[in-house]
Formats: sequence, C-alpha cells, structure tokens
Amino acid sequence: MRKHKSDRIIGVLTVGLLALGLIIIYAIGPMRANVTNAAYGTDYSENYFFLQQLRNVALALIVFVLAFRVPYRVVRKWGKMLIVVGLGLCALLAIFAAIHNPVASCELGACRWFNIAGVSLQPAEVLKFGLVIYLAGLIAERKKEEKLDSWSDFWLPFTIVSGLSLLFVVVIQKDLGTGVSLMAIIMAMLFMSGVKMRYFGMALGVVGLCGVLAIVSSPHRMERLFTFQAEDSSDSYHIENAKIAIGTGGFMGVGIGNSVQATGYLPESINDSVFAIMGETFGFVGLVIVIAAFTTLLLRLLRAANYLHDTEESLVMIGIFAWAAAHVVVNIASMTGLIPLTGITLPLLSYGGTSMLFMAAALGLALQLTCWTSREPRTEEDKRGQEKIERTARGARRAV
Amino acid sequence: MSRNKVLKIGLLLVMAVIVTRLFCIQILEHEVWAEKAAAQQTRQNVLLAKRGEIYMMDGDEPVAVVMNATVYTVIVDPMLAERQEVEKKMNEVLGDERTAEWDDVFADKTLRYYVVAKNVGRKKAEAIAEADLTGVWLQANTERVYPEGTLGSTLLGFVNAEAKGQYGVEGSLNEELSGKDGLLRTVKDINNVALSIGKDQVKIPAEDGKNVVLTVDKTLQHNIERILEEDTGKIGFKNMSAVVMDPNSGKVLAMANVPGYDPANYGNVGSAADYVNHVLEDPYEPASVCKTFTFATGLEFGVMTPEKTFTNTGEITVDNWPIRNVEQGAHLLGAQTMQTALNYSLNTGSTQVLRWLGGSETDITQTGRERLYEYYHDRFGLGELTGIELYEAEGVVYGPNADIFGIDSTYANMTFGQNMQVTMMQVAAAFSSVVNGGKYYTPWIVAGEMKNGEFIESEEKREPVRQTISQETSATMREMLYNTRRTWRTNGTDKPGYYVGGKTGTAQVIKNGEYSMDETVATYIGAGGTEGELPSYVIMVRVWEDGKTARGEGHALPVFNDLKAYVQDYLRVKAKE
Repeated sequence: MRKHKSDRIIGVLTVGLLALGLIIIYAIGPMRANVTNAAYGTDYSENYFFLQQLRNVALALIVFVLAFRVPYRVVRKWGKMLIVVGLGLCALLAIFAAIHNPVASCELGACRWFNIAGVSLQPAEVLKFGLVIYLAGLIAERKKEEKLDSWSDFWLPFTIVSGLSLLFVVVIQKDLGTGVSLMAIIMAMLFMSGVKMRYFGMALGVVGLCGVLAIVSSPHRMERLFTFQAEDSSDSYHIENAKIAIGTGGFMGVGIGNSVQATGYLPESINDSVFAIMGETFGFVGLVIVIAAFTTLLLRLLRAANYLHDTEESLVMIGIFAWAAAHVVVNIASMTGLIPLTGITLPLLSYGGTSMLFMAAALGLALQLTCWTSREPRTEEDKRGQEKIERTARGARRAV
Repeated sequence: MSRNKVLKIGLLLVMAVIVTRLFCIQILEHEVWAEKAAAQQTRQNVLLAKRGEIYMMDGDEPVAVVMNATVYTVIVDPMLAERQEVEKKMNEVLGDERTAEWDDVFADKTLRYYVVAKNVGRKKAEAIAEADLTGVWLQANTERVYPEGTLGSTLLGFVNAEAKGQYGVEGSLNEELSGKDGLLRTVKDINNVALSIGKDQVKIPAEDGKNVVLTVDKTLQHNIERILEEDTGKIGFKNMSAVVMDPNSGKVLAMANVPGYDPANYGNVGSAADYVNHVLEDPYEPASVCKTFTFATGLEFGVMTPEKTFTNTGEITVDNWPIRNVEQGAHLLGAQTMQTALNYSLNTGSTQVLRWLGGSETDITQTGRERLYEYYHDRFGLGELTGIELYEAEGVVYGPNADIFGIDSTYANMTFGQNMQVTMMQVAAAFSSVVNGGKYYTPWIVAGEMKNGEFIESEEKREPVRQTISQETSATMREMLYNTRRTWRTNGTDKPGYYVGGKTGTAQVIKNGEYSMDETVATYIGAGGTEGELPSYVIMVRVWEDGKTARGEGHALPVFNDLKAYVQDYLRVKAKE
C-alpha cells in the first residue's frame, strides 16, 4: 500500500463549513452579545463572539493540520492514554463538582465543563476521541487474533470502557446528547467490527434496555422525551422557536444579518441552535446546501473506511464518521422537531471551543487516513493474511 | 449488502427525512411560521389621534367650549394589595371620589381587578402614583371637558364611552373631529427593544382631529339659553327652542334648546329626546308663520296685493274638511284686505291666495297647487335639507299631485303651515330670504378651524344659492310683516328707529291620527334691524310642552320679544337717525 494524495473533498468541506460558521457568528454575534448583556448584565462587546470564534476557528485549523500531519502510529501510541486521560478527567470533574469547586462549571445541576482561567474544556470530547482510538485498536487486535467471540478478551474490556464512558457522561454529567454520540460511536464501530450479527443484536438489546432504564429513572430525561407534547416547557419553547426561525426563512431566507430570532427569541442561537438561524438566514436552499455538504463529508468518510484495508484504520474512520454523523443528525433532527431536544452541537458550525477543536482533530486524522486507501474496497471477510502482508509492506517502506 | 453500505443507505435515508421535514416547514408551512414570528417579534401600537376641540366665537376670537383632558381610572388588585395600607392612603387622596366600598373590593381576591374610582384628576392620580402602593394602578383615559358647563349641549352633542361623537356637532362632525389613528409597528428583540431589521416596520403617524370653530357666538348663545330658561318658568312651558341667524349670509349666531343637559354626565337625562337639537333634527308643523311664504308667492304671481280684499266667511270647506279661523271676531268678517288676513292670521285668507294662484276665486286648482309647491319646496326649500354642516331632518312637503287623501285640503292647510313637516332651520333660512331681498343662503354653522392656535376661516363662499322672490316682493313682505307685528305688539318693545317684523304660528298637533285642539305648538319668527335697512337678524322661537296648548301670540311672541331685546343690543343694531 502506497501513500497517495488525501481526499481533498474532506479538506475543502471542513474548511468551508468552518468559514460558514464564522460568517454566521459574525452576523449574529452582536445580537448574542446584546441579549446576554441585557439578561446577565455582562459587558460583551459587539464583536466579542465573532473574535472568540475567529480564535477558535484558527485553533481548529491548526489542530486539523496537526492531526493530518502527525502520523497515525504516533496517535495510536497515545490513543490508549487518551481514553485513560478522558475517563480520569471525567472522574476529576465529578470530584470537583461534588466539592463545589468553581473549576467545575455546572448548569442546572449538570457539571460538564472544566473552567480554568477562562478556558473551558469538556472532558467528554476527550473521551470521544479516546474511545475511537481505543476501540479501533481493541477490535482490530482481537479480530486479528480471531477472538471477537471471546467474552474475557474482547467483550469484557469493550463493555467496561464503553460502559464507564457512558456512565460518566449520561449518569454523572447528565449529558444525554453527548451520550447519544458516544453510543453512536460505540455501536457503529461494533457493527463494523465484523462481530456476528447475533452478538451485535444482543448488544443492541442491552443498550436499548439501558436506554429505557436511564430515561425512566430521570424525570429530567422524561421531560426531554415528552417535549413534543409539553406545551410550556422550556424545551418546547426552544423547539418552537427553532421552527419559527427555520419556517420564517422560507425558500431563500431573510438574508445575512436579518435574523430576528437571533435577537433573543431562540435560545442558544450561536451554539446548538445555529442550524435554525441558518434556516432563517439562508432559507431552504441554504439548508439543503449545508445538509448536502455534511452528507458529502460523511459519505467520503464512509467511503474511505470502505477502502481502508487496515481494520484498525478503517474502524477509526468509522468512529469519526459515527461521531460526526451523530452530531449532525441529532442536532438537525432536534432543531426540526423530529426528535426531542438533546443539546448537542452542530459540528464545525456551532460556536464553542472544545467540541470544534476535537472535531477538527478527528477530521484531520480522517484526512490523513484517506492517504492510505487502496483502489479496491475491502470485503467483509477480508483475508487476514493479505492484510498482514500489506501491513508488513507498509511498515517496511516506512522504515526506509 | 455490506455493513458499510447499510450505514451509507441509513445516512441517506435519515438525510432524506430531514430534507423533507425542512421542505414542510420552510416551503409548505412558511406562512404559518412567518405569522408566528410576526406575532412574537412585532410590537404594534396604535398612535391615538387627538380628538379635535370645539370652539365658539367670542367676538372675533374663537374660544374653546369642548376640550380634552386626561383623567385616570384607579384600579386595585385585591390579591396583591395590602388592604389597610391601600384603604388608608386611598381614603385620604380620593375622598368622596371613591366609588367602591372596601369590603366589596376585597370580597373576592381572585378577581384581581376592581375599579375604585373613575375620572380622577391629574393631581390626585399623581398622589396615588407617588404613594407607590402594591396592587394599585392607574389607567389614563382622555375625556371631554366642558369649560362652559351645559352651554350649547344639544347643539354640541357628546362623546360616548366608545369615544364616538353622539348628536349635535360631536355626532355630525365625528369623522373630522376624530381624526385618524396612526399605527406604529416595529420589529423588536426579546427585551422589547426596537430593531432596525425586518420588513414589518410600519409607521403611520396619527392625524389629529380638526378643531372645529362654530359661527355661534358664545355670549349670545349663553344669553339666549339664559332667556329661554327664564321664560320657561315665566311662561310655563317646558320646551323652548330658538335659532338666531344673520339673514344676509345664512350664518347661524345661536342655536338653543331648553332643557339642555350636562354633557359631562350625559347619562343623566330623562329620555333620549333631551339630546335632540329641535332646530335641526325635529320636523314639525310651524303653522301660520308659513303664511309669510304663501303671501310672498301670491305677490310674486301678481294675484294679490296687501290691499286686495277677499270675503272672509269665517269658515270654508275643502274636500269636506272645514277650514276655520282662530280669530272669529265679527269685525273680521266680510271684505278684508290681505294685510288684515296676515295680521289676524286668517286661514281663509291664505286659502284664498291659493285659489287665486290657480286662477280661481272659489276653487283650488292644479295650477294653484303647482305654483305653491314651486315656491314652498323648490324656492324656499321647505321639506328639503338646507345643507347646513350638521345632522338635520328633511321633513315632508307633499307634491301638488301627491297621491294622498284630500290633496286640495292638504294644500289649503299648507298655506297656513299645517299638513307638512319642516325643521325650524328650513323655515328660518326661507324666512331670511323673504326679508333680505329674496336671496337664499345655505345656513352655515362651521366658521373654520383652529390650527396651531390660529383661526383659519373656512374658505367656502357665502353667496346666495338662488333667488326665491324678487326684491320688490321682499320689500312688500317686510312691510306686511312689520304691520302684522304691530297688530300684536302689546308692550311697546319695538322702539322707534328700528325695524321689526314677524309672524306668529299656532299649530295643532296630531294626536291619535287627528289634529288635536288639546295640544298646540307655538312659533314666532321675526326679523329686525335698523329702520329703512335690510334686517340684520332673524330669530325663530318655538314653545311647547306635551299635553299643553301653546299659542303663538300668547307664548312664543313674548319669548321672541325677550330674545329680540337682547339680540338687538348685543349686535349693536343702531336706530335710524
């Protein structure tokens, strides 16, 4: 397998979407500053949010390029560390939250961020990245050893790491949105691992059962689920206003800078609700283009996964695909009232540091991996022997 | 199918669902969402137009007689209010202006709304506002105020609770007085701050109502009303109406009805009839004052002179209906001049004029009816709207060939002002033309408007709209009316050097379908001025009360004399030197 040029489409779409997000924040940032100042007595300048986003985008681009450049084998080496760091940070956050240390940033009893000297970090994002690398490595290893059916060698570590991650995010941080994206990553990678459909079905059943239990055990989540009916809950207000924004946009949109919903009617207008604001601003045409861009990006990732003959690399690609897809689909479906509100960002477009940086890193890595695709698609039951030969060959060439 | 393909197809399906959903929201339901957006994003204020004020003349200067003031309604929310605190403070400020009992206010706390006083003035409202009581608030309303009290109430009308003018000037000129409310629609952010974005911005400024200036002289109006009030007691009839006008331009100088009412408390009247301006809105049978018009018509066609005689038999029969005279003295029977017929208001005399008009000594003919109708209706404008700016009734004057029972007896009756319904305004305007040289002026009562404190006179040309009779006929009629008035002048009110001419009328009123002798309406119309010049004023008076017999010479004439004395003085009419 020879290194070739990366999939430019992924690069172009990533940069293009980041730029689009920047434009939107430029247009509605002043409104956001206004609303926040009026509501909380803060003193944000008109350009505050735009400048913040400009910085975030710049950092994201750096991270994107770094992730593209740093060879996967290096990433892989630290990957297992990353899952440990992620889980550790989550545990640390829970401890800080328990002792009411201001380092743990809490909202309505849900502590999801570290806030250190004005820089916020969401450990769940570290967890996502770490999980993708860890699971890809675990599955590829066991697959090579043909131990995917083994309880102690595969299912036990798989379940512990996945379960622990979900426990921190869903139960302790009460972050169902991130939980959904974690679950998407886990299930997609398991699905593509080549485990017997019977086992996958069983895993799906267990997850479903846990999901039902998790929802029933928390009135907070019950409320979210039944937002559709609950007329006066804050979530239904949020969704209603998202739909008002999207609906007002009509075919062509009201034009950039003319969003009225962004002047305080639509909550989270620059973060989770940015899709609705784009609907108001750019109309149906604009949203279809945005969706087409995301779909193309996701399909390119999926295609690359199919052409990566290295199981581990292919699984990393699948993890990144599932991560991005979960965010895109869940966010948009929430905003259009198709599913309950989950509070999850729209990749690359939403205002916000951590999630954008990690998504950029993931996509940078994905772009790097597209350099190693082969001409032929991998088959479901790819011969391990051939894979081994290729791996050896590549290793030999790299060594030169 | 490979598992990769499963994911691919799954993703495409989900995206297809999303795009379909977007199509529904953005294209199909666009209007619905846009409306919802507008409902929450726009702030709409009606910019209230200020209702125009009404002015009367004070000499040459207009002076406001109907103005606007802001008054307050005091409202208590019994759930939020502290009873003791509120009760103490409110009793102190409102005193007896409070309309609600505290026990009632606090009886049902879930009401959240109880009006404790209305029409509270600014000072008291400020005191309440300063006290800053929880659960108490003030609601500002604009209210009409009447610095002159009841002055001209039936002429001016009032404004009802829905801010709509009712009766009189307020009702007639409601549209001009109201102006047009404006509209301010702005797109606002969630904190109600106006935004410059959005295509729903509308600003239509309010057009304030016109400040109407009436021709009516405030002092004259006031004194006419005062004299009428006094005379109701002196003469013993409840209802009196009067109109004073300038016969040489049609300008109305005063228009009064007693009893009036207090427009500030317009609800406190006996019946809706008290709101009526009888000068304009209440057609009646003016009776013998119309002989003026009959005789003028006779003179016009050359069928009579003041000296021409006819044989008065005291009673004649037309269509089997008797026509009788009120004055039955034997000295009036036999050959009498037309001047005598007018002096003593002989109905047989005026009927004779109608016969002569038709070229007959003994019969009423079609030609006679046609000629009388031409003058009554077409020239004098009886039974026609005068065209004054206010509400007025039209009345009825039957045509010469009207398909009614006994057209001849109807016409015989019309020669002395019965069997017809006309307004005082119609009669006064027609009478003005009889004495002013035959020029008919449309009566007018709106002099112009006040704009930014400046009186802008109406630019309408006050020119005669038609010639009713010739100058000569008019001169003859002035002479005849002068003589007629002298016949009944009992107390020497008309001083030398002045011209005053006039005619009485006593009308039977139809009760239960028949003319009744138990109830009559008295009228007197007269014109006055410097002797040898055209009269400078016309005054018409009407006196009546349900179930009572008011007589022209006995009841209307003395009121006219009182009014005339005042008007002549007030208008500074000079005696002939």
